[in-house]
Amino acid sequence: MKYFLRKLGMLLFTLFVALTINFFLPRLMPGDPAQALLGKMENIPPEQLDSLRAAFGLDSQEPLPLQYVHYLGNTLRGNFGVSFSRFPMPVAEVMRIAIPWTLALMGISTILSFIIGTGLGILAAWRRETRLASLTVGVFSFIRSFPYFWFGLVLIYFLAFKLRLFPIGGAYAVEATRGSAAWWLSVLDHGILPALTICISSIGAWLLTMRNNMINVLAEDYILVAMAKGLPLRRIRSLYAARNAILPSVTGFAMSLAFIVGGGLVTEMVFSYPGVGYMLYQAVNAKDYPLMQIIFLFIAASVLVANFIADIVVMFLDPRVRDGAK
Amino acid sequence: MIKGFLRTLVSNGKSLVGLLILGAFILIALLAPIIAPYPPKADRVETVVALGPPATNEEQIKEETPSADLDILTYRSTTTKDYQKVIHYFPLRAKPSAAHILGTDQAGHDLFSQLVWGSRVSLFVGLSTGLFVTLVALALSLVSGYLGGIVDDVISFFTNVMLVIPGLPLMIVIAAYITMRGVAPIIIILCISEWPYPTRLLRSQVLTLKNRDFVRVSASLGERTSFIVFREILPNMISIAMAEFFAMSMLAMLGEATLEFIGLGNVAVVSWGTILFWAQTNGALLSGAWWWFLPPGLAIALVGTSFVLINFAIDEISNPRLRKR
Amino acid sequence: MDGNTMLELIDLRAGYDTVRGFVRAVDGVNLRLKSGEFLGIAGESGCGKSTLAYAIMGLLRDQARVESGAILFKGRDLVRASAEEWKQLRWTGMAMVFQSAMNALNPVLSVGEQLVDAIHAHRKVSEAEARAMAVEMLALVDINGDRLKSYPHQLSGGMRQRVMIAMALILKPDLLVMDEPTTALDVVVQRSIIEKIAELREKLGFSVIFITHDLSLLVEISDTLAVMYAGKVCEYGPARGLFDGPLHPYSRGLMNSFPSLTGPITRMGGIEGRTPELLALPPGCRFAPRCPEAVERCREAEPALLPAGADRSCACWLHGETR
Ligand SMILES: Nc1ncnc2c1ncn2[C@@H]1O[C@H](COP(=O)(O)OP(=O)(O)O)[C@@H](O)[C@H]1O
Ligand SMILES: [Mg+2]
Repeated sequence: MKYFLRKLGMLLFTLFVALTINFFLPRLMPGDPAQALLGKMENIPPEQLDSLRAAFGLDSQEPLPLQYVHYLGNTLRGNFGVSFSRFPMPVAEVMRIAIPWTLALMGISTILSFIIGTGLGILAAWRRETRLASLTVGVFSFIRSFPYFWFGLVLIYFLAFKLRLFPIGGAYAVEATRGSAAWWLSVLDHGILPALTICISSIGAWLLTMRNNMINVLAEDYILVAMAKGLPLRRIRSLYAARNAILPSVTGFAMSLAFIVGGGLVTEMVFSYPGVGYMLYQAVNAKDYPLMQIIFLFIAASVLVANFIADIVVMFLDPRVRDGAK
Repeated sequence: MIKGFLRTLVSNGKSLVGLLILGAFILIALLAPIIAPYPPKADRVETVVALGPPATNEEQIKEETPSADLDILTYRSTTTKDYQKVIHYFPLRAKPSAAHILGTDQAGHDLFSQLVWGSRVSLFVGLSTGLFVTLVALALSLVSGYLGGIVDDVISFFTNVMLVIPGLPLMIVIAAYITMRGVAPIIIILCISEWPYPTRLLRSQVLTLKNRDFVRVSASLGERTSFIVFREILPNMISIAMAEFFAMSMLAMLGEATLEFIGLGNVAVVSWGTILFWAQTNGALLSGAWWWFLPPGLAIALVGTSFVLINFAIDEISNPRLRKR
Repeated sequence: MDGNTMLELIDLRAGYDTVRGFVRAVDGVNLRLKSGEFLGIAGESGCGKSTLAYAIMGLLRDQARVESGAILFKGRDLVRASAEEWKQLRWTGMAMVFQSAMNALNPVLSVGEQLVDAIHAHRKVSEAEARAMAVEMLALVDINGDRLKSYPHQLSGGMRQRVMIAMALILKPDLLVMDEPTTALDVVVQRSIIEKIAELREKLGFSVIFITHDLSLLVEISDTLAVMYAGKVCEYGPARGLFDGPLHPYSRGLMNSFPSLTGPITRMGGIEGRTPELLALPPGCRFAPRCPEAVERCREAEPALLPAGADRSCACWLHGETR
């Protein structure tokens, strides 16, 4: 329980830090980019302009702490401002459209890559004298040093452009009626290649972490005891080795996740996949600061929550954590 | 200590391959003017035909354009004889050929030359960020791990908080706010988002070392803290710090390429990331120009792999459990 | 060999393949253990005691291997045994207790699960029967049956080691190998564990190989004692005799030294210097550089382990029949 509360406190605090970074970033930057941009926007009604000014701290009359309080209040009320590039659409509305795509794409591919990568890592450590194990480790280490977006480009080029196995980009067939069977099929069709990009690029991270953990665990005395007891190898591998080796993997989930989410965002950009990452790309190009900010907040919050969930999973997997002994 | 460590690195097969790849790329970067057939931004070759060197007091008297990629300018000079300047413009978006082995881009720049010159920026950003981040992490972790108490609490708390804030979105947002474009801002942004990773790892290493017998003995014998930190703890951090240096350099190189690819770098600078940016902006992919976007990515991957290989070896050296049976 | 012999080691050599060569941590050891006998093996850390124990259990792994010699268990040579034979034999014929029970118990499985899976690996019994056996065994080491549900971290150090002993004895093996089973425990707990082992041996009648660096502890509890130095046995004989008068200067040093109570920083009270590098052994007697009594001859030729009086032997130029 103490563990749970501590992790919950950490979650709330990191969320707060993310909010704060979000608040100070535009205010700390030299050159007042927002000011310059506002200057260019002529067809904005004055009251909207005022709220934008407030959002970016351009009201110099108001002292910073007060601005901060207003910002926190607005955020808690779900008031994130309006998009510059899709004026006068509220950024929250833009997000409402983009989020499901990202959650589906990244959620599925992250879970898949975790399962596959961890599984391969277990086997690569268990059979580490074999040629196949070294080959797998080598191949995935090589792939891991590819830039995600470039790997996406390569897959698009060969599988979509040359072999025409998959669509080149987008998330669904525009001509299909939304919700029809054909539309759903096209969603699947469009999702495979980006998902493949994220999966293959990120499997290496899980694989190498799990392999190293496994190798460390396999040198523990309790593995030797298990062998001496004459337990079936399958039991040793799963309940003695993997069960212990996975704990640091789950704990390190946050770090790996932050990378994978970063890679996933860029993958969306390459595939013009209409999720949060592609929105971010468009927002950056259009200098749509309110949209950028909410996207940053959203990504940070999702990673933090996922990390919190991982902490809770550890609690169930590790009796020591459960008792607060570790 | 460092010497012995390097010797072990060279004797390990994996790291030797890694060091060779890395060394080859560093050599390419240093010798770029010799290796690259053209300067990175050249879109033409000018040759002076006829006698005499060009001079300041010259006057163009004739201009011919025999073909689209060729101009012949004739000058009259008062001090020397007349001469002709023949300008060969590079073809735009050309396929690989003998003159341009990786073709040219939309502005006629030779892509092979850009690849060679680009290695300078990419390696510089990667290695310098790696170095800087590692030094910062080393300093923070020594202070935090050794002094302990409230200093440690504060540092490790902030490390843990910043660790979970996703780096790439943070970098993108910061880069979007910075109006100045270029290599220096990118390095700064990369440092801001990378420092927590090595700091956490190095700090836990300091804590482990602090509890080792030899450090405890020194502490109980009343050795000065500076002696313990610099003479007993620091030398034992070398291999792990080296590993972090390479890991962070690789991350930085990937991060730089990503930021530039999105258009958040200085697109006028020639680096592997900006080559990819221009390839993407000009639809290299869908016009089948693989020679444009494949080589820079492969170069990044190769350098990245060299870092990974070196790190495999460092891991094996410092953790006997990972060694081959 | 008479029918009463449980275990016999013949010229056993074992060690580790390293980049700098083969480290022969056990170098030509000959030992014999009778049924029901309590053999103590003493020696400073790094003398090859654990390597010997692991070799006997067939648990050398990674770079470690038996180089030559024989391990005869009830007349059967285990050096040539197949993996399958080892699997059958271990835990039913011989079992082992490790130095740190914390490391030897799987932290994520309950004590019960770890006791029961050992039973299931060798006996066809129902879950309920296996549990009953586990409870019975725990009772023998004075642990309440409720503890089956406990996880290792929920037990005290002494309890963990007793669980480990229960686990080793659960299939009633004939031989129990204990590698520094009490080193990680404080003195009071150490005492109670040792008494427990003596009591269980009385009850169940197994033989024991008990390894420790604490010779003064061993002389109290063993029937027979072997003192190891740098991979070799340098003195062997009844514990009584060694207690009354150690023959080898190294044994004498060990008897006079106090194991450190404060942790791993061991300071040998009686012996100056440290154990030799196995890859760079001194010429002559391996102990000569540290030996207060060493003479010219000790630095030139290595003494063999030879009889020195009634059922004792010693490897020293200054003692026994080699003199
Ligand atoms: N994995 C290994 N690789 C190389 N040498 C080893 C390894 N493990 C132990 N040794 C060497 O073998 C010798 C005996 O070790 P060990 O049997 O653990 O001694 P003890 O149990 O008496 O302390 C030591 O000198 C040690 O240096
Ligand atoms: Mg030992």
